[in-house]
Amino acid sequence: MRLTDLLGAEVVDQAGRSAGKVHDVRLVQDGPLVGGFGAALRVDGLIVGRRAVGARLGYERRTMGGPLLVKLAAGWLRHDGRYVAWDRVRAIEPDRIHISGSADDLPRPAAPQ
Amino acid sequence: MAGRVLEAALQLLDRQLVDKHGRLAGKVDDLELTFPEGGGPPQVTAILAGPGALSRRLGGRFGARLEAVANRLREGDDDHPARVPFAVVAEIGSAIGLGVAKAELETDRLEAWTRDHLIGRLPGAGDAPD
Repeated sequence: MRLTDLLGAEVVDQAGRSAGKVHDVRLVQDGPLVGGFGAALRVDGLIVGRRAVGARLGYERRTMGGPLLVKLAAGWLRHDGRYVAWDRVRAIEPDRIHISGSADDLPRPAAPQ
Repeated sequence: MAGRVLEAALQLLDRQLVDKHGRLAGKVDDLELTFPEGGGPPQVTAILAGPGALSRRLGGRFGARLEAVANRLREGDDDHPARVPFAVVAEIGSAIGLGVAKAELETDRLEAWTRDHLIGRLPGAGDAPD
């Protein structure tokens, strides 16, 4: 599988309702050791939403700073951003990812530690 | 202990690859994700670079043409994009630093093929300085 198989795919819940499209994939470096890099990067979850602009500028991360005007605009753009933990992913099809539960239960993307 | 957190598209995709000598070695056009044998979430196992990887992102007729050209300009009959194992990644910053020389990478194949089969056969090519 490639990263681009996930990016842009529509995420649908058990009821068939859309949660938006995948704008980014969050990785955590805590996998098994790989060569000189150290711990492998594993997929932690998907950042999804209906508007892509805020995510592409990095404003899905709440710690992202100014400029103030851009931050305010991106804050409005990101308000529908949601996070799908990988353990909720049930099936991956071309351009579509099925998740368990309801799209209403999805949390906002947390700030990276 | 929680590990470093990265957002793949924002912090890895389209970043410059730099080899251990500081030479440019391509860009991150895609990532290879592999499901571990024992189950669990996929892991990043390689960086994919070059026209063969970029063509899928471009999509459409132009992407298909680009992939066909990339496959022709390649030794052997393999049709996978150039692959940089994540084990050779030394650091991730504004660029992706690699712990190996550019010549050891698959990303160097197209450049080497062009040098050997096209540029090297031009009259006077042997006179060019290194």
